[in-house]
This record gives sequence, structure tokens and C-alpha cells, in this order.
Amino acid sequence: MSNVRSTGKKSSNTLVRDLVNVGIFAALYIVLAFLSSSIGYIPALIVFSTGSIGLVTSIPLFLFFSKIERSIPCCLIFCGFFGTAMFIMGQGVLMFSISLLVGLLAGAILKVVGKTFAGLFSANIVMSLMSSSMMLPLWTSTEEYLEYTRTMCDAGYVAKLAELAQSPWPLVAIYAFGILGATVGGLVARRVMKKHFERIGLAK
Amino acid sequence: MNISLKNVSFSYTDSLDDAVISDLNLEIYSGECVILAGESGCGKTTISKLINGLIPHYHSGTMGGDVLLGEKNTADMTLADISRYVGSVFQNPRSQFFNIDTDSELVFGCENLGKPREEILQRVDGVIREFRLEHLMGRNIFHMSGGEKQKIACASVAATGPEIFVLDEPSANLDLKSVADLTEIVARWKKAGKTVVVVEHRIHYLREIADRICYVKDGHIAHEWTPAELEAKGPEYAASLGLRCMNLKQLGENCHPGAEGDRVYGSNQDDIKFNNLHFAYNRKFPVLDIPVLSLHRNQITAVIGHNGAGKSTLAQVMCGLCGTWSQKRKARKYGAYLIMQDVNHQLFTESVLEEVLLGMRPQNEKAALEILAGLNLEQYAYEHPMALSGGQKQRVAIGSGVSSGRDIVVFDEPTSGLDYRQMLAVSATLQKLAASGKTLLVITHDPEFILNCCSNIIRMEHGKIAEQYPLQGNQGKLIETMLNA
Amino acid sequence: MKLDPRTKLFLAIVANSVILSAPVAYSALMFAVPAILLLFEKKWKFVLAFFSVYLAAAFGFEHLKTMDVGRIGTLVVSTMMIISHMMPITIVLYYVMMSTKVNEFLAAMARIHVPTKLTIPLTVMIRFFPTVFDEARAIGHAMRMRGIRLFSLRTLKNPFSILEYRLVPLLVSITKIGDELSIAAVTRGLSPETKRTCVATIGFHVQDAVVFVYCMAVVLICYVFPDLVGDLLSRLT
Repeated sequence: MSNVRSTGKKSSNTLVRDLVNVGIFAALYIVLAFLSSSIGYIPALIVFSTGSIGLVTSIPLFLFFSKIERSIPCCLIFCGFFGTAMFIMGQGVLMFSISLLVGLLAGAILKVVGKTFAGLFSANIVMSLMSSSMMLPLWTSTEEYLEYTRTMCDAGYVAKLAELAQSPWPLVAIYAFGILGATVGGLVARRVMKKHFERIGLAK
Repeated sequence: MNISLKNVSFSYTDSLDDAVISDLNLEIYSGECVILAGESGCGKTTISKLINGLIPHYHSGTMGGDVLLGEKNTADMTLADISRYVGSVFQNPRSQFFNIDTDSELVFGCENLGKPREEILQRVDGVIREFRLEHLMGRNIFHMSGGEKQKIACASVAATGPEIFVLDEPSANLDLKSVADLTEIVARWKKAGKTVVVVEHRIHYLREIADRICYVKDGHIAHEWTPAELEAKGPEYAASLGLRCMNLKQLGENCHPGAEGDRVYGSNQDDIKFNNLHFAYNRKFPVLDIPVLSLHRNQITAVIGHNGAGKSTLAQVMCGLCGTWSQKRKARKYGAYLIMQDVNHQLFTESVLEEVLLGMRPQNEKAALEILAGLNLEQYAYEHPMALSGGQKQRVAIGSGVSSGRDIVVFDEPTSGLDYRQMLAVSATLQKLAASGKTLLVITHDPEFILNCCSNIIRMEHGKIAEQYPLQGNQGKLIETMLNA
Repeated sequence: MKLDPRTKLFLAIVANSVILSAPVAYSALMFAVPAILLLFEKKWKFVLAFFSVYLAAAFGFEHLKTMDVGRIGTLVVSTMMIISHMMPITIVLYYVMMSTKVNEFLAAMARIHVPTKLTIPLTVMIRFFPTVFDEARAIGHAMRMRGIRLFSLRTLKNPFSILEYRLVPLLVSITKIGDELSIAAVTRGLSPETKRTCVATIGFHVQDAVVFVYCMAVVLICYVFPDLVGDLLSRLT
């Protein structure tokens, strides 16, 4: 047979595939992040909401990471979209910069470590830093919540709470729960990848 | 513009698709309308991808030989170049839109090619007039019917003014009325001197337009007919090759090829009655308004009617998926089980066996394996359901419905996009299910399928039952109403 | 009344920052803008529904916060508080989303020199929000028929299984749609390397200037005289 050749290697067309994947997963990620963070609407559960985001978004993120070919630009655009969405919702430039930083870092990890479990797992944890930052304004509104509890509960308890709000601990808790969620989520995601996506040819 | 495929061979390396093309030669002349027909997996879609440039530019695989569009070799062009000459319409209207509103979608192709603004506006105006799309402009694509979406898809491809049109099973998800619109579109293209290549196994709608039907088998052209030749050989011949009927009017009283055994007609037992099937978004215009629906027990009843006649709503209300609280509560107890058009939505677990066990109360592995054996799935019991073929997935979904202990199973267009053999397999499964004591309701646009296995017909109109009759003795009437729908 | 997409973006950013950080009075001054603009878009019902829920939550919180409502009541009241804080953001976003066509938005992006590599995934993302909800609804239906519920013996035994049941079919079907979508897009000449035309007409008009000046004015008052509006209100009542 004449001039047998392999096809589909041209970069511009796999680039379209990558870009479309970024769009799809960004849409899914934003929806899931909002839905799973909605338990934060109950103020007592604010700090836990970051954990639930990490948990829920891990499976799609694992799939996203394993599908894209250009790790750094794709992660950067992905996180950039999330940051922009947050920016439009009034979260300021800080959130946007965090997002870009996280995207860069996650992309670099995937590039350097490769798409092994270690790579996906650590990139997923880095991503949780971004989704946890989404809770920052809710954290500031805990003060208002304190104001409110003051009218309800005894003074000692409120003082204890107020002390908590003054200290950096709630902030630490927000991120710690995010990382915890992403860790557990990552382990679940590995199982799901093995059990489902690899068997049906969606991921390698 | 001529299309010529010279000694082409191709095999995929990146997908589970195992259709292989070997040493294919095909000439399609300027202004011709050619149908590439054949059973699923025969390689006809691969041929269409060779023409629109997805191979060699998008799919990874191994290719030999050349594909020429006019004088140019597709391998030397970019996909954007090819898209100036070749316009493609795909099977699934849900996944070929890049935009949310129709206006943006129509200009999308022209914008990508960087044509000047005035020219684009002029072209789009022309297309809107040509396709009579005035009433569809400014609409949200997500709120449109399959037929309307496919019309927009054709129009937006036509707006870039390609010389060649490649349609990949465009009629798979359409009702007969929308299929008639499609016929008109293809006829108009042909009249304008365009080359049209249609990949299909449902070919009746192109019988007066197509110049040639190329039958693809195992990656090469096995037969070539004109539509008249194929029609003369009769529906049994087409069916033996896995093709759908060439002329629906030939499907008459006595002719429904492949239908085996005698069906039970009429009511010999008590009927199953559903009361108060109502649903409305707006109190004045109910989507569904059926006081009593009675189904013959252990028989297959087909539901036909236009898009938007309330068929899907009927299925959802019967299965407790929409409606008032009390409707849902009642449906949970006595309700039906729905086999969705996209069965991917209802497969959850990691193996076929678990899938069947999931809804079973109490779980009993032996009974589950029995159900699987009844559906010819026992050898796949430990496979991942999503890794199976479309027909097998559908049977897994049926198995999960059976194991949940429901007596009534509702199917939403179980045969859309299937070739003749697959359709026969579905109808055999359904008949077996009915014989085992289930009552089946099937929403369908597929006359051959109805003739093959259904016993009763319900025609819906504006959310009401327009008529209900047994199939026996009414075959002619059924074909007549479906064609004139 | 049509605003330029860039003005809407500006409105969204400014309005949402004010709503998140400034006192309620200022936030009301800001979300009045999308409310009025929505009336121009003939979205009477949405505006009415929004205000009834918002006012109910806000008044509920104001009146109940000093009362002893018990432990569960506390939960309800604090939820009211969060709702009254977050609702204004939804009306701003709703206005921006419903009134902007994707191609107008892309034209605006092209005007401010955003590269195609960003606008392609952006278009896909916007188009995919409805798809995600459609698919999720269908999967939810299938789950209900199978009797898979959020709280059941099975999900108690393995709490992550519910995540799996929800997400796996969703991911399978949306990646499939995504693959088909990229195929359809490349056959229609979409390429990150070529320059696209944008047919949609956009541009600044008087109404853009009005919205712009109003937003700037509110921000200015808000940061220079943070107590002004509150004082005026208390003097009036």
C-alpha cells in the first residue's frame, strides 16, 4: 500500500479538543463548586463547605487532568475562568490572582510529575486552595453571625467565638478542610477512575 | 466538485471504534447525491470522515491512499480550508451546537472563516429565506425540538456556501414530519448543483433524490444500486442487508419482514388503567390531559404523534418523574419503569450484574442472573455496562427495570438510529418481555418497528389521546397517518 | 434598552463588590440598577419574585434577630441573614446572563483583544451550563426510578457511593457531548489560529454612560461618606 502514515497528530486540532475540554469541565466545576458550597448558607457549616467542595470536585478534576494534553495552559485557563467568575461576583482581584497562581502551580505539577496518581492527587489538592478561597467572604460574614449570636447566647460563649473570629484559626480551618476534602476526594477519585473511566476507555 | 477516494485504507488507534477501511475506491461526481448505506460498524461513517477531513486531521489512526476534493488532496489542506468546501451535519442535534441562540449559530461558520461582516449578513439572510427559518430566529436552541435543531444545523452549514454536504445519519432522532423537511432540504441542495453525501440506513426519505446507493460492508463498497433498483428488489431484500425499507408505502397489510410468530390482539384479560394523567405548566394549556389511559395487559402498545404532542410527558408522568406530589407518590407504588432514549443516563454501577441488583429488593444474585440470561447478557455479567454496545446497554437498562419489579415498562424511542438488524433485536427483546408478563408502552416514530412487534396503537395530539386502535387490520391506516403526520 | 456587554461586566463587578462589602443601604442602591433594567426586559415576574423573597428574608432577619427563637429558630434566622446578603448578587448575575447573547459577548471580548484561545473555551463553558443541568436532571430521574436516594441504608453504608452514582453517568455523558462538539466545531472551521469575524454590533450609547456614572457615584459616596445614606434614612424615619 502506498504512503501509509499516521494521522491526527496535528497540533492545532488537538488544541481545539483541549480548549473544548477546558470549557466543559470549567462549566461542570463551577456548577459543582456552587452546589457543594451551598451548605455554607447555614452559617454554622461555613467551614465545612470547603471540604465538601474538595470532595465533590475531585472526580471531575481527575478526569479533566487526565484528558488534557497541554497541562499548563489548560489549567491556567481553567482556573482563570473560575477566578473571573468569582471576580464578577464581587470577590476582588485577590481571588483572581490566587486562581491564576493555583492554575499555574497545578499545571506545572502535572507537567513535571506527569499524569500518575501522585501528579493528579497533588494537583487536585492545589486546586482545593482555589475553591477554598471562594469562602473568604463568607468567613468575613461570620462576624455578622457573631453579632447575631450575641443577642442569643450567653456572653462567655460569644466571647469565645469572637476570640475565634479575631484569630487566624477559622481561616486556617477553611483551607485545612478544603485540603482534607481534596485528599479524601482524591482517594475516592482514584478508585472511580480505576473502576469506571479506565474500563470504559474514557481515561488511560 | 468531484470527490475521489483512491486506494484508501484507515484504522483507528484512539477509540474503541473498530471500523476499518481497506483499499477503498470511490468516485462521487459533482452534483450527485450519494447514500452510503450499511449496517452499524461497517465503516460508512469513517468514509464520511475521510471526506470532511476529520481523517486525517482529527482522528488518530493509520491511513494509506489519497482523498481528493476536486484537484486538492485533503491531507495538504487544513480543516479550516476543507470546511470552505465541505459542510457537515451530524446525527445528534444535541451536541453539534456551539451557541445557545439560533442567530449566533447561523453566523458561526462564516465567522470562523473570517468572511467580511456585510457578506455574512447577506448570506444569513439568504439562508433564513431559503430554509424559511423566520419563526426560529432569536430562539434558544435548548428549547427547540430535534427537527428544528436539525434544520438550524443544516442552515448554518449552508450559510458558509460549501460545494459538498456530508450528512451523518441526520434523520436518526427525527420524527417523520421533520424527516420530510430534511428531504426538502437535500432536494434543494441537489437542485442547486451541490454534491450531497448522506450516511444512512433509513433511506426511504431520499428515494426520489438519491442518484446512487452505495452499500458498505467491512470497509468497502459491496453493492451499488439506484434507488429504483433497490426498491424493485423489495423490502425483504433490503432487510436482509440490514437496511430499512426503501418505500414506506410498501409496508402494508401483509408485509412486515422479519416479524415472527403471532401476536395476541385485542383484550383477552382485564386492562391496566391509569387515571388522571394530567400535566400543565400553564393551567390554560395543559401539556398532558388524559383522564383514563387503558393498556392491554402483556401487550406492546405504540404511542405515536407529532413532536410536542405530549408523548414524553405522558411517559414521565406515568413513571413518576414529573407532575404533582400525589401523582409522583402514586407512581412510585404502581408506576412504570422508563427506558430512556439515552440509556447512558441510567447506568450507575461497575458491572452488569450489580446494575441489575441495584434496584432489587431483596437482592438475590441468582434471580439477577436469570434476568440477565433472559436478555442474552449472562456472558457480560461482570463487564462494565458503559463499555458495552448501544443495544447491550439498552438491554442492561431493561434488566434493571425488570429487577425493580415493575410490571409496566415504558420505552422512549428505543429504535432511533438503529439499522434493521438492531431494530429486529430490540423488537425481539420487547416481545420476549411482553410474553414474560410485562405490559409495554413504546413511544416511537418508527413504522417498521411498530409493524414488527406492537399490537396496539395510541395516537396522541395536543396532550390528548386522539385515537386508540389495534394494529391488526389497521396497518395501512397506521402508515397513512404516520406519513401525513 | 440595550447595554454594551462591557458596561454590563463593569456593572456586575462594581455592584457585586459593593453588595459584598458595603452596608445594606448601598447594596440596595446598586441592585436597583439591574432590577430596573430587568423591567425594561419585561421580566416583571422575576423582579416581583426576587423582591418578595428578599424583603421577606431581610425583614424576617431584622425582626427576629433580637428575639429568642430557640436552637432551630436560630438556624432559620441565620439562614435568612445569608439569603438577604447573597440574593442581590443573584439578581445582578441574572440580568447580565439573560440579557447578553453569546455572540455579543464574544464581540466585546474581541474588541478588548482577548485571544481566541480564551474565547473558544469561554463559549463552550457558557453553552455547557444548560447541558450540565439537563443531563443532571435526566440522571436524577433515573436515580429516582431505581430508588437511589440521598439517605438510605446503602448510602449510609458507603457515603461516597452517592457521589459515584451522581457523577459517573454525568461525566460519561458530558465528555461524550464534548467530543462530538469539538468534532462539529472543527468541521465548521473553528481554529485557534485564524482570525474570526464578529457579526454582532456592540458599542457605547447614552444608557451606558448613565449606568457608568451612577455606579461610580455610588462607589464614591460609599467609600468617602460611608454613613451618609444610613443617616439620611434614619432622619427620614
